[in-house]
Amino acid sequence: MRPAPAAALFFGLAAAALLARHTLSVAVLAALLLGVCIRAPVSRRWPYVIGALVSAAALFVLTPFVERLPGTVFWTGPTIPVVGTLDVTSTELSGALFNACRLAAVSLAFAAYALWLDHDRLVQSAGFARRSVLAVALATRLVPALERDAAGLIEALRGRGVEPEGLRGRARLLSPLLAGSLERSLNLAEAMEARGFGRAGATRLPQPSWGVREPLALAAAVVAVVVGALWL
Amino acid sequence: MALAGAESLSFTYAGAAAPALRDVSACLAPGQVTLVLGRSGSGKSTLLRAFAGLVPHFHGGRFSGRVDIAGLDTRRHGPARLAGTVATLFQDPEDQVVFTRVLNEVAFGLENVGTPPAKIEARALDALASVGAEHLAGRLVTELSGGELQRVCLAATLALEPQLLLLDEPTSQLDLDAAEALLELTVRLTRDRGTAVVLSEQRPALPLDLCDRVLFLEDGRLTFDGPVGQARAWLEEHQPSFVSDGGDVAVHLHHSGEVTCRLAGASYAYDDHVLVVDDASLELRRGEIVALVGPNGSGKTTLAKLAAGLLEPLSGRVERTGRATYLSQDPGRYVLRERADEEVAVGVDGDLAVASGALATVGLAGYEARHPRDLSSGERERLALAAVLAPEPDLLVLDEPTRGVDPERKFDLAALLRANADRATLVVTHDRVFANAVADRFVSLAPDQELVHA
Repeated sequence: MRPAPAAALFFGLAAAALLARHTLSVAVLAALLLGVCIRAPVSRRWPYVIGALVSAAALFVLTPFVERLPGTVFWTGPTIPVVGTLDVTSTELSGALFNACRLAAVSLAFAAYALWLDHDRLVQSAGFARRSVLAVALATRLVPALERDAAGLIEALRGRGVEPEGLRGRARLLSPLLAGSLERSLNLAEAMEARGFGRAGATRLPQPSWGVREPLALAAAVVAVVVGALWL
Repeated sequence: MALAGAESLSFTYAGAAAPALRDVSACLAPGQVTLVLGRSGSGKSTLLRAFAGLVPHFHGGRFSGRVDIAGLDTRRHGPARLAGTVATLFQDPEDQVVFTRVLNEVAFGLENVGTPPAKIEARALDALASVGAEHLAGRLVTELSGGELQRVCLAATLALEPQLLLLDEPTSQLDLDAAEALLELTVRLTRDRGTAVVLSEQRPALPLDLCDRVLFLEDGRLTFDGPVGQARAWLEEHQPSFVSDGGDVAVHLHHSGEVTCRLAGASYAYDDHVLVVDDASLELRRGEIVALVGPNGSGKTTLAKLAAGLLEPLSGRVERTGRATYLSQDPGRYVLRERADEEVAVGVDGDLAVASGALATVGLAGYEARHPRDLSSGERERLALAAVLAPEPDLLVLDEPTRGVDPERKFDLAALLRANADRATLVVTHDRVFANAVADRFVSLAPDQELVHA
């Protein structure tokens, strides 16, 4: 399938998850997208899938402590200045579960987009705003690039006989990773400018025409948004 | 008639204390291959960027003088406007790749310069065919070897059919055969088309055989500009390290001691289960320096990582005595801390005194408070070396330590390594001159993974 309708379909599913009002509906959408992501190669899928699920789990765990909603109280904790008394109620838990499913669904929709789409073709099929689409495609490649950089930093540390241990040890890699990605982006910008990027009168490779599946995917995307808004 | 020229060109990067180029004047004729030589930081890359219009348009700074490319003044015409007339192949191919598929990558420049859509694919495929890479058209760039990626990047520049081709250390990641093939191919293709080529290199032996003319830069000044015949004589007199084969530098006096690392029938495969190292046996003894050589993709780095303990063999044994350290190919991996001394101290439990000593050993005394990212590429190489020397390892494994290092600095590094007779050193290198200068013996990893000891 051409990437633009596929991207629209994933966007439609993410929008449906944001518009839906029932936890079960959102959970089903998240499970569907998880199934799509899990079919990607193991070596590529894990940062996306783990990232999405860990973020959702963290949201589920933290939300009840910062929300103040009535309901059956399951636990009461200490009183903290500004925040007040910590407690966990049934309403807070159900709200946390709903928001966690939403976050998981949206993250997994992005993961499916990153894992399955041919971003080159997506850029080429962009009839307008090509620069913006290219920027999004390059940003999408940031995750695997950061993964490679992190592996390189850890290897260099181990090469000095130092094993990065625990969350704190790995967290110290975040700053050099960010700085490295900025440095790389400058090099790439220079290379792109040297190759004429931004010049007026650019053309593009001709694209093959749409088949049967592309309009169907677009229609499914629209249906997903409408169903999500009205019935889920 | 000159195709391009620089006239009294001076340039100082924003925030820099000294100019990168000082009063440089040079003309480039169509079909002429010009080799730019000089030490690290002498202004070679800046000169190439000035011919591409990237200086001053991309890199802000103080610019004086004039650069003309095919009648276009680079002060008024930026790099995007010059693209097509000029094409640049940068040192690190991974930093210039925009797309994920090879055909799209080669087509990118053609699209930007407004090539008629019906002609883009044909020209991209022709360019790939001209570098012998048409079979890669549908592949992902992430699947390519370093040599293949460099060919694809070359195809992307040749597809534009430029009048001026700029090559900034294009062979730094290639073995000798691949480098020779790439340079010969480039020179043949560009001579056929009458393209002017400007090439900077840190391994000058090969390009000296192919070029017509040599420019030599020192601290941003052009100290030699002449035909290649005169250049050889001038280099022998004024810059002998640039024409040395390394054999006259090394004094091989080391005596081998106890074994610090022994590989016995070691094999290794990555996730694709293809054996990269197959049944390799090797002994590294205290006091000796071993050069591990072989073509790209022959498994040198994997073997080095097995020796250093970064990988565990799938079969066979690796035994080590004492501590091993491993220098990665990429000095950009030694930038974890905010200060150079703290970075070096990572491997010695934060001992800043030891770190300062290691920095002094590699010629970076006084750099303790500098941020690793503020160092030049050559200085980063030395910082990385200090980081692996500081723990005083019993086994030192260096993976391509001379990438991007100028000839003079290579011989300094060889002397530094040879000054210590207490450790075993394994050097993975494509650089035959450096290997000649530093090694007691050679181990060659052939394409069929057979180790040949010499």
